[in-house]
Amino acid sequence: MNNTTFAVEARQLSREYVSTRRSHLVGKKTTTVIKALDRVDFEIQEGELFGLLGPNGAGKTTTVKILCTLLEPTSGHAFVKGYDVVKDAAQVRKIVNMVAGGERMLYYRLTGRENLQYFAELYDVPKKDVQTRVGRLLELVGLADRADDEVEKYSKGMRQRLQIARGLINDPEILFLDEPTLGLDVNIAKDIRKFIRDKIVREEGKTVLLTTHYMYEAEEMCDRIGFLNKGKLVAIGRQEELKRKVPSGFSIELLVTRLSDEALSGLSHLKSVKNVITTDYEGESEGEKIDRLVISVDNDKAAPEVLDCMSSKHCRVVSVNLRGPTLEDLFMYYTEEA
Amino acid sequence: MFFRVVLAEMKKNVKQHFFTVRILFWTLALPLGNGLYLYFFYLPFAATSVNLEFYASNFTLDLAGFTLIGQLLYSFFTMMLIAGNTFVREREQGTLEAVLLSPANRIAVILGGALAGAFHYVWLLIGVVFSWIAFINVGVVINDFLALFASILLSYLSLVALGMCFEAFFFHSRRGTMYATMLQEPIMFLSGLAFPIQSMPRALLPFSYLLPLTFGLISVRLTLLGGASMFDVAFPLTILATMVIVFSVLATWLIGYAEHKAKVKATLTQF
Repeated sequence: MNNTTFAVEARQLSREYVSTRRSHLVGKKTTTVIKALDRVDFEIQEGELFGLLGPNGAGKTTTVKILCTLLEPTSGHAFVKGYDVVKDAAQVRKIVNMVAGGERMLYYRLTGRENLQYFAELYDVPKKDVQTRVGRLLELVGLADRADDEVEKYSKGMRQRLQIARGLINDPEILFLDEPTLGLDVNIAKDIRKFIRDKIVREEGKTVLLTTHYMYEAEEMCDRIGFLNKGKLVAIGRQEELKRKVPSGFSIELLVTRLSDEALSGLSHLKSVKNVITTDYEGESEGEKIDRLVISVDNDKAAPEVLDCMSSKHCRVVSVNLRGPTLEDLFMYYTEEA
Repeated sequence: MFFRVVLAEMKKNVKQHFFTVRILFWTLALPLGNGLYLYFFYLPFAATSVNLEFYASNFTLDLAGFTLIGQLLYSFFTMMLIAGNTFVREREQGTLEAVLLSPANRIAVILGGALAGAFHYVWLLIGVVFSWIAFINVGVVINDFLALFASILLSYLSLVALGMCFEAFFFHSRRGTMYATMLQEPIMFLSGLAFPIQSMPRALLPFSYLLPLTFGLISVRLTLLGGASMFDVAFPLTILATMVIVFSVLATWLIGYAEHKAKVKATLTQF
């Protein structure tokens, strides 16, 4: 155990997967080493909702599995509440839980209530508290009225909500959510996000590590974000900090009338303009047809230059909207840069 | 906490298995038919008896009963391998991660899964023996019910303990089921399932005595068919009790080692 104040801490965490294959039944063995995590360093504060983003195969699930004690790192160390995930695995298991996306981790022939009761026994929840806790969790995830139906009769969203209840059965201090809204429809995913953010983090004060590749999900929920790409942590910080570091990703949306080829050509020759997209717009201003332009620019200082260009080409600007980089822009920037 | 996990695991497995009345009915009804099937399978050999020499005693047993018990305990042995492979089932239904995430003792989890299969076993045994006595004239001679009970219980526990050792392979490798299948034929031969082990080449006898099934067969046959007393079967029962302890300790170590290796090799939760 180390004397850290962090809820989760990863130091030079690396994980390699070795796969051996034979060309045919008695052929020569070939070994491939895949580096899933490469000297990753990060820490998560208590009560924080930390998002780990990255494309498929970036190492998100590997990180979560190491932190949950389901996998051992090839090198480096990870600590959960100061407990080493390898040496103190038994202690770590008592204070964490994990919820994965997809339809796993539940017994389909048992009812929702029986599932939670079973896991309560595995976590040694005090006997007198089992019924109360199970009831409260079923209430919390909105499954109280279907608690005694077999899970195989549940919808996908209900199963996912039950999974979240399972993840909370031991009242964990740290909850790992690995793509928790994977494959869910918009409304259910939204409810689950709200539930995690408002109930689990804000009300109950739990620390959450969320992995996702839905950018809006991370944008909406996370206090801090880390970008993983090909096993490396390429950026980490608050969204605003990360956005400030990105030199591109700003765009100007203009609604204009009297748009000409000459104006478009003038725009594309401006130094700060990277790209111009023209789209039709349903509407008129003073009897003239409106066009919509989305202009990608280097930075937020480019707007006056763009407006000058438009007025010099006799276009009439009806509306201007400056948009900063989204998390998706950051994701593209950091993952492509790496 | 250990026994709490064992009970939770048993309850879960029984509930998962008996989830319809029809399944419950067939589980109860099939052993009767199974007993009849086994009897007719061995009927051509039923004309004679067999001498079982053991521990300076010579018992003359009903040959049909002798082979039937062999088949019965062997069925149980394979059932134990299947019932014991808790982690394979959990892996297949996508729940292994959830179980291993918990601080629950792994041995307790396996033991719970294996003991849940005890219901099937006990009923199979009762159903088959009942069908022999009720419908066909198998020479059942029981003089000491306590000795019979101890023989069945210790055979059962020793096979459970051995099954837990096998579980380490299921944990570590996805080929565990294949290894278990590969072991079936040698175990059938070496345990004296269909013939007295004294008929076997002497060089193979030491291997026979490593198997709990060998001693289980001796003690159950003697107490169920030969009317043996506790004193007569004291030796095989002592060996079985020792095997229960040795295999349990070995299983605890093997499971811990296999889990560690599986985490290193990342085979723990793969399908």
